Amino acid sequence: MSTQLPASISEETVNEISAERDEPDWLLQTRLEALSALEELEMPSVIETPGRRWTNLEDLDYESIVDPLDQRDETERVSAEGAKVLDFETALEEHPELVEEHFGSVTDPQTNYLTALSTALFTTGTVIYVPEGVDAEDVKVRAEMNSTSLFSHTLVVAEDNSSATILERISNGSAVDGDRYFSNLVEIVTGENAYVQYGSLQNLDEDVYDFTLKRGDADRYATIDWIEGNIGSRLTRSDIETELNGDSSETKIVGAFFGHDDQHFDINARVWHNGEHTTADLVTRGVLDDEARSVYEGVQDVGREAWDTSSYQRENTLMLSDDSEADASPKLIIHNHDTEASHSATVGQVDAEDLFYMTSRAISPNTARNMLVEGFFVPVLEEVEVDELRDDIDDLIVARLD
Amino acid sequence: MATLELKNLQAQVAETGEEILRGVDLEVNNGEIHALMGPNGSGKSTTAKVIAGHPAYEVTGGSVRLTLSEADVADIDVDIDEADLTWDLLDLEPNERAALGIFLAFQYPAEIEGVTMVNFLRQALNAKLDEREELFEDEDEEGADAEDDSGYDTSPMEGPADDGDVGVAEFQQLLKEKMELLDMDEKFAERYLNAGFSGGEKKQNEVLQAAILEPSIAVLDEIDSGLDIDRLQDVSEGINALRDEQGTGILQITHYQRILDYVEPDHVHVMLDGKIAKSGGAELAEELEDEGYDWVREEVYEAA
Repeated sequence: MSTQLPASISEETVNEISAERDEPDWLLQTRLEALSALEELEMPSVIETPGRRWTNLEDLDYESIVDPLDQRDETERVSAEGAKVLDFETALEEHPELVEEHFGSVTDPQTNYLTALSTALFTTGTVIYVPEGVDAEDVKVRAEMNSTSLFSHTLVVAEDNSSATILERISNGSAVDGDRYFSNLVEIVTGENAYVQYGSLQNLDEDVYDFTLKRGDADRYATIDWIEGNIGSRLTRSDIETELNGDSSETKIVGAFFGHDDQHFDINARVWHNGEHTTADLVTRGVLDDEARSVYEGVQDVGREAWDTSSYQRENTLMLSDDSEADASPKLIIHNHDTEASHSATVGQVDAEDLFYMTSRAISPNTARNMLVEGFFVPVLEEVEVDELRDDIDDLIVARLD
Repeated sequence: MATLELKNLQAQVAETGEEILRGVDLEVNNGEIHALMGPNGSGKSTTAKVIAGHPAYEVTGGSVRLTLSEADVADIDVDIDEADLTWDLLDLEPNERAALGIFLAFQYPAEIEGVTMVNFLRQALNAKLDEREELFEDEDEEGADAEDDSGYDTSPMEGPADDGDVGVAEFQQLLKEKMELLDMDEKFAERYLNAGFSGGEKKQNEVLQAAILEPSIAVLDEIDSGLDIDRLQDVSEGINALRDEQGTGILQITHYQRILDYVEPDHVHVMLDGKIAKSGGAELAEELEDEGYDWVREEVYEAA
């Protein structure tokens, strides 16, 4: 890997971060292994079209945007009856075996350069533990980033027959000058017949570079639903992934983004059908204004043993400006013929006939356009189970339209 | 007493320059029902769209004028001069034309996901009331309100929080009454605008919108096509109610005599090659039904 490692990131740094938290040895070792793997690891792959590489993660100046020993955040956690919603340090004290068993079990810390960097340096995060049979509604994690860089790791463990609806909101507290970097890894482990909806809303300041990889492992009859809302940041690279390992498991990956000015969104949704009778539905809707850019990759991978698979994917990007740019690449890889699948992506503008229809009813062109844009996001909003998250996403969309 | 007057109206497709309207003359007064008939491609739909201000057409000559009476503007809380009662529609945006009382029922209404009927219609009614006030305000007062149209600021599922002139509860009552009149299921109110509606439901919805917006002049573009007999009767009742209760002038574009049995026209016009070729009473429609358009063409071209 050619990326220059900032001098401040060393074994010494990692030891210090781990010691400060009084971490068990296994976690320190995991961090150190991730650190030493950085040299070998690649950046996440990005979409390339002729003459163009859409997202240049290599070009980020990690030297100036990563300051591992100055990570500050303020995170508010709202639990639900019967569930544990704990900051990472408390979770390590109270449930050491649970954390050790599952940490890094869904996302290999050494998946790529950025996951390894995140694992080596994370100082904040949440463990959400939903014991067998517990229904945890409206779990909330509201995080504010208050430093130049912040690395976070969230682990959700939902045991057999449990369910959880979770809201995660990321924004900035006090303003910090200059470019910043936020890294957010989320892992979801499910037991048999567990249900998890993980809804995330990223509304970081527009000089923050944002990397997130969220990945779930669905057991037999389990469902993992993702809501991924991206409004803020200067650049976001987001990977939302589900492995349907258990028979009859299901997933929805629902995304919404709304870019303006020169924001850049690199949005990825991926599902692996490994068990039999599995179902996936990938729906992403994005709007771009001004000079904003988006690139989307969606992958449905149907494994050799994935009999009776249903897999659907739709991505739609709406451009409000002639200067915005979008590229989309929906991919369907089928190794088992017993599959019903569809995939599509569209990029378009506000429909002139729709606008005329609305203005012919006395609605002003501006209001008509705003109604159409809000309406465009409704299929996404309808999926959100935590009311606060739905309202927050809608409010931010409306605020951006004015 | 409102009058819509088309004089020597000429228009072409903006993109290709293809000439469609070659001098249309037509006058519709409120309370009157006009049927506009003619073969495909003769310019009927284009006439409707040009009246409403569709951006795909460019007007190359003639005029479209709307003259309102004092009674038409009784709702407006501003002093109105005689001169303010006549409007050259071609100078106005589609939403301004609608605010003055022009309504176009679309042949193919747009399907709009994510915007509920109830929200859309209340938004439209309030927009119409607002826009009317603005249009009649003195020029120098206009600046203050010019930036005032971004007031839409909440969920499309719940409707705007700022109540507008007609609040949510009041509007729901109004909508319920109008839907009953058209024999429409209440559930329509919460559905997305035309999304997944059958052809007939869409047409019913167009008439419902007219009933709510109470236009001075309604142009109905093939409101009768694709309707079964029950729905045709519902729709016809709605159109007659517009005329009888609100005094709306109706310009109804149709291919078929069938709807004219229920909505009896005062005047029938035949359009050929972008012009009104012949006008007459209700009996003209029956003749057309029996004989087709060729005889009109022959008559017109022989006379010429």
